[in-house]
Formats: sequence, structure tokens, C-alpha cells
Amino acid sequence: MNEITQKMRETARGLLNSGQVALVLGWEKGYPWYKSAPAFIDRGEDVDRLVFDEFCHNNLSKYLLDLVAVEGRIALFVKGCDSRGINRLIQDNQVKREQLYIIGIPCPGLKDPDDAAGKKQGDEIKDAAKCQDCRYPNPVVYDLLLGEKVPVAKRSSETQALIERLEKMKPDERYEFWAEQFSRCLRCYACRNICPACNCRECVFDRATPEWLGKANNLIENQFMHLTRAIHVAGRCIECGECERACPVNIPLMALNRKLINDIEELFGEEPAGLDPEKKTPLGRFELDDPEKFM
Amino acid sequence: MLAIDKKRLNELLRNMSRDFRVYAPYLENGTGKFAPYREDRELYLEMNTLLPPKDIFFPQTEKMYRFRTAGSALEIEEIEDKKEKQVIFGIRSCDAFSIDCLDKVFLSRGYEDAFYKNKRENTLLVGLACTAAGDTCFCRSMGLNPQEAVGVDLQVLDLGEEWGFEARTAAGEGLLARYRDLLRETDAAPIPTQEFKLKVDVEGVPEKLSRMFDHPMWEEISRKCLGCALCTYLCPTCHCFDVSGKVKGEEGYRFRCWDSCMFSEYTRMAGGHNPRPTKKERVRNRFMHKLCYFVERYGQLLCTGCGRCLAKCPVNMDITAVIRKIKEAEVE
Amino acid sequence: MNANPLVPIRGRIIKIVQETPDVKTFHVSTVDGEKPFAPKPGQLAMLSLPQTGEAMFSITSQGPNHLELAIKEVGQLTGALHQVEEGQECGIRGPYGNGFPLDYLKGKDLLFIGGGIGLAPVRSLINYCIEHRADFGKMHVVYGARSVADLVFKEDLFENWPKVENMEVYTTIDRPEEGWTGHVAFVPAYVEELAFKPMTTVTCGPPIMIKFVLQALARMGFNDADVITTLEMRMKCGIGKCGRCNIGSLYVCLDGPVFTLEQLKKLPPEY
Repeated sequence: MNEITQKMRETARGLLNSGQVALVLGWEKGYPWYKSAPAFIDRGEDVDRLVFDEFCHNNLSKYLLDLVAVEGRIALFVKGCDSRGINRLIQDNQVKREQLYIIGIPCPGLKDPDDAAGKKQGDEIKDAAKCQDCRYPNPVVYDLLLGEKVPVAKRSSETQALIERLEKMKPDERYEFWAEQFSRCLRCYACRNICPACNCRECVFDRATPEWLGKANNLIENQFMHLTRAIHVAGRCIECGECERACPVNIPLMALNRKLINDIEELFGEEPAGLDPEKKTPLGRFELDDPEKFM
Repeated sequence: MLAIDKKRLNELLRNMSRDFRVYAPYLENGTGKFAPYREDRELYLEMNTLLPPKDIFFPQTEKMYRFRTAGSALEIEEIEDKKEKQVIFGIRSCDAFSIDCLDKVFLSRGYEDAFYKNKRENTLLVGLACTAAGDTCFCRSMGLNPQEAVGVDLQVLDLGEEWGFEARTAAGEGLLARYRDLLRETDAAPIPTQEFKLKVDVEGVPEKLSRMFDHPMWEEISRKCLGCALCTYLCPTCHCFDVSGKVKGEEGYRFRCWDSCMFSEYTRMAGGHNPRPTKKERVRNRFMHKLCYFVERYGQLLCTGCGRCLAKCPVNMDITAVIRKIKEAEVE
Repeated sequence: MNANPLVPIRGRIIKIVQETPDVKTFHVSTVDGEKPFAPKPGQLAMLSLPQTGEAMFSITSQGPNHLELAIKEVGQLTGALHQVEEGQECGIRGPYGNGFPLDYLKGKDLLFIGGGIGLAPVRSLINYCIEHRADFGKMHVVYGARSVADLVFKEDLFENWPKVENMEVYTTIDRPEEGWTGHVAFVPAYVEELAFKPMTTVTCGPPIMIKFVLQALARMGFNDADVITTLEMRMKCGIGKCGRCNIGSLYVCLDGPVFTLEQLKKLPPEY
């Protein structure tokens, strides 16, 4: 059992048994061996379920929205990307910092469970696409850090390569590419539900009056859903890549989200979301010298 | 039995596609699904498709009727079903059983769903035996035989170099007779199915569940659920649907489309009352439906052991783990 | 009726009666002026304005050439219905649901308890019993609404039903109101005050009223098998296939909406 897992369990046990926190969010092993799943631990004797391994993808910060009614503090384990999610939720007034005990885990990068399917433990497995060019592997907010900070590797990623390919295409070609992707969409909303930036109490797609979007599956409605979500999330996406990982039909959502991040950087300067809970997001404020090319 | 050289399967399907609309398993952009036969595409027969074949009889979006309004007047026009003769080739035992479940839903208990019926009664099913057992397959534990698909007209067996055919109905005999000149007699034996990695014991679960409505385990297991529809849309037996319409000026159409009991507004009534207001009620309802209510109503489980849900759920909600929890639970 | 159970036939709203500020009764015939179908008391119909939507309503009464649906304005479709005028064409399909157990009720003394718009489905049964008066014993109706303005079917409550042989009508409103000399109480309290001996009862109203009525009836010694209610759920297909209206393994649109308390107690409390 690795060192981080051991520290996780000790920390959780201490926090729960002393009554410092009411609940610990972490990860535990699932099935098959290449799946790790969110774990909700509220008793000291259950902490041995906790693990940290190369499949701990889930961004636990999203669950804080469900737990507003919990009395007492909540401890949660976060990787770099996850911690940005917490800052985002604090920024959006969805959670209070004082209620959280954040335990940071510097992340070495995770593996792709789809590549592990059919393989045995110990086989070579590809890096997860979402981790390939990660800029923030170390948690940006925490009360306790387990382990040493990891260096930020300058790597290329499939997502960036796809964006470059798309940027070279003519508009019609680009449209065809995305039409092919969105025509596969099942409208399961896994992407929306797993995303910490998607924290509206009532999502526009769930409204019945007016009905912005029904449940019919066709290209137009699928495009409308994805483009709307991409724009709603723009400036607030923390690049955890969970949307793309969750998608059952492999739509390259991070290419869309990353492209918007690149564009925002170009227009407003570099402002990765979720680093500073005090600073308003680029699309959540205006400056008098904002670019006005379209006016 | 009669058989065809594996390299010539495409030829058989090509011939068949002249007489029927043939659906077969393909990979489309990396996603396995049943799609209309295309000569230039390679079949995907290694593992089961990601998307189940239920959409052939129960499309995700299906127009029901058109209407036109003029002042206070209304015209209703039914949409004619082409009733094309179809063959679904390569349906696995798990999915064949799911069609049996859907038949019970749509064709029994007082009403026959005309949309489902028109497609179903014009379609022949050709089952395909599994020799590999995927990491998440557990059909055997649900009482199914991976080599023998329920309710198919023709069963295809893996003989190594050849595909073997065994008719199960008169219609299946008819298919074999029609394409007889492509087939030859063989005495090769079917390759048995690998040992399943995933097993679960469902003995007594439906009855026990009927006493577990208020059990605290539902609170526990529902916490990690995201409330998306991924499991329900990938599930071969899930069949909840919504009815809605599209209007453009004075014309429009009413349609039905897949819906999911996992969505928060699924049971919300006009006026605001919602019998299943939180994730706990919805998760409980889903598992009760699969493992208890459907058994009470139709005499069989609504889970075929295909494993798609636990393979793809973003939080690894595992129905086999839920079943194990039910077996271990303390209940009066 | 249409051969395809999910496709409606064309109907026409031939008459609209304003019952209360937010309840109207719609009289619906086919476009040829005939009764769309012959429902049993307690059955339901799917009414649609296809450009707006479709919803399930209880059938409160029927004539030789029409059906009557009493509809409260609560949402999109009902809002649109409350805007239309007589002559409006609509879609209609049915009849759906199990209806009241008429054979079980024959020869018995009956107690009908309604609250607000909940009187609508019960009315279909009351009127059936009145039409076949000799087949049923003494009938009592206890009905209440928030205020005088909210009382539905006033003509039946104050003129028609009190004239029926061996039938008592007790009407109540929630709070005192100027000009009202009748009883003032919530329906469940009024039922208990009237101290009926246990008999076969049919009740319908807002979920909260049903809950307290059932508690009161239990205290009064009423038998679970003799307490009958009709439930409401969100419905889409109406034919027990879309999965939405289930309570346990039963579908309210197909196996209900009429259930006895004995049946309900065996079902998960999810309605």
C-alpha cells in the first residue's frame, strides 16, 4: 500500500475520531481493478476503505453542493485540479471555506481506465488524456498537504494537438468535425453533472417553463446543449477534464473547453480559474479597457 | 451444423441486405453500436457494443403524429410506419434477453405499443454466442447462457475458423434455406465461453428487496450518484420515455423520446409536488425496479448482466456491489 | 378510439363552465358531436392542445354526447386550456385507469369525502350512484374547500344532491367568511366531528388532506379494505409503459388510479 494511502487513512481516522469533522470525502477501490470511486466516510472504523492510486479521477469538490445541510465540518482529499474546484465553489458562494478541511495530494498524473480495460495489473497503461499537459498538479488551497509537491512537467497533449488541428481547418471543416462528435451525444448529462463549474441550482436544460431544451436527441439540440454549456462554463472551467472522462461516447469536450480558455487568455490575459477565490472570473467582471473589437 | 468461413461473413450479410434491412455491430468513432449494414465497414465482433440494440425497436427519438392548427381547428395526421423487414445480426445473450423484457413491457398488459410492435414483428433476431467474458460481464449470474440467446430466430456459434448456425424458429430455418448456397456442413465444435471474472449471487434478492424500502443502505449508496442518465441510456432494458412536441408556427409533431428516472424532475408534478425529491429516492427506485418491481410484475429480472452501467458509470456505481449489499443487509 | 393508444382523436371543447376562479369544467365531444368513449366512473382521459402539451385528467361526468373534465389551472397546459374559448379543437384519448370498484360498492352505505378539486373524480361515482340509486345504500358526501369561491360543482352541492333520496351533503370551508352560514372546519376534522360509523368510503383531495383523512378514518375504526382513494401522479403515456407513474410495481395510470388503503399499505410510500 502506498505512502499516500496510509497517510490518508491516518489523517481521516484522526479527524473523525476526534470529532473535528463530520464527514470525509475520498476515494475507494471499485470494480474492475482500474476503477476508483468516490467514498463518503463518516466513521473512524471505515477509513481503511480510502485509497489513492492512479485511477482516482473523481473531482470530489462537486459533492460539496449536495452537502450544504451537513452539520459540522467536511474533510475532503483533493488533487491539484480538484482544489481549483473548491476555490470556484467558494467564489460562487456555494460553499464556505470555514466548513471545509482540505487535504491536498500532489498528483503525479493519473492513468486512462479505458486503456486498462482487458489488461492485467502491472501492464503498461496510457496516461489519462486530461492529465497530459496539466499545469496545476499541486493543490492550490489546502489545510494539510500529504506528500511532497510535484514538479510541473511541460508535456504536449492530445487535446492541444486536436485544437491545433482544428484551428488549421476551414470553418466548414470544423463544423463537420464537431457535428460528427455531437451526433454521437446521448444527452445523458454526465458531463454537466460531474462538472464543478456547473453549479446552477436549476440548470437551464432542466427548465420546463420555458422549455429551452427538451429531451429529443438530434444534432441541432445536441449542438445547442454543448455549445451553451461550453459558453456558460467559459472562464470558470478548472480543466479537471472530468467531463471528457465521463462521456461514454468519447466526445473530446476538453478540446472545446480548452479552446475557450485559450481564447479568454488571448482576450483578457492569463487567468486560470480557481486559483484565487478573491478574484472575480474574467467573464464575471468588466474592466474599462476590455477589448471591444466587435463594437 | 451449417457454417460459413469467417472471412466470408460479409458476403452473407451483403446478400441478406438485399432482402432485409440488416443491423450489425460496428465501431463508429470508437463507439460500438448496431448500425445498418455497410459493405465498406468492418464488423465489430470482438466484444459487445457499447450502445444496446434497444433503439432499433425503441428509437431514442420517435415522431408519433403530426398536427396542424388553424384558429381553433386542429388536424391530426398519423405517421405511417414503413414496416420494413429487418434482421438484427449479432445480438448477444444479454441483449436478446433485454428484447424479451422490452417485449413484455411494450406488448403486454392491456395495451400493445403500436410503434414498438410494427418494428418488432417485422424483425428477425440472429444471436451471437460469446466466447470472451468481458471484465464487467455477468450474464451467467443473472441466469443467462452466453452461448444461447433467448428468443432469437437463429443462433451463431464461434467454431474457430467458421461461424456455425443453428436455427431456433421456423423463420430461422427460412433464413438458412435462403442463403444455403453460401454455407456448408461442418462438425467443428463451438468454442466454449471463458470463465467469468465477475460473479454475483441474486438468489432471494427480489423477495428480500420488497422488505427493504426503508433500509438505510439507500442513503449510503446514493451519495456518490451524479444523477445523470448514463446508466439508463446504456442499459439494454431501461425503457422510460417522455412524450413531448415540437411546434413551428401552425404546424408541429408530437414525439416520444428516452427519459431517465435518474433526472431530478422526472416525477415532479405540475404544482411542484415530487414523490422522489432527492437522489436517494431515485437511486432506490432504479434498483428496486430492476431487481424487485419488474420481477413482481413480469416474473423476471430487468437486469441482463451486460455490465455496461458499471463499466461506464463515472462514479463506478456497481449493481453487483449493490446486490451483494442487499444479500448482506440485515432486514426483518 | 384510435388503434394506436398513444395517438389521440380529434375532439372539440363544446362548453366551458367556470366553477371557481381557477377551476373550469370542459365539456368535450368528438368533432362529429359524439361522446369520444364511454368511461366508467373514476377513469381518466389524456387531453391535449398538441401545440402546448398533453396531460391526464379525471373524467368528472359524462352526457350522451360528451365527457366533462374539471381542470384546475396549475401549469402550462392547464394555463393554455383556461385561455381557450368554446369551439376549440383538441386531442383526446382514453379511457385510462381501473375506475371505481362498482360491484364492491353495490348495496352498501357510502361515504364520499372530497377536498378542493379532488371532488372531480369522486363526482363521477356519486352521479353514477344517483343514476342507479336503488343499487346503493345511504350516501353521505363531505366536501370542503379553502373558501366559498373555491367550492366546485356548487349546483350539485347545493341544489341537485340535497334533493336526492337518502343522501346527506355536508359542505365546509376552511375559514369563516362573511355571508357563509355553513360549517367551518378542515375536511378531516369535519369528518371526525360527524362521527360516521365505519362504512365504505371514497376519498380524494390534496395529498395533505388525504393523509389526515386516512388518519381520522383509522381512528374511527374504518376498515382498510373499505377505504378507497384515487391518486394523482405525473403521467405521460397513460398506458403503463413509460415508467413514470409507478408506485412500486404498479402503474397509477393502468393499475390505478383507484386503490384501497389495504392495497396502498402494501406499496412503497412513494406518492
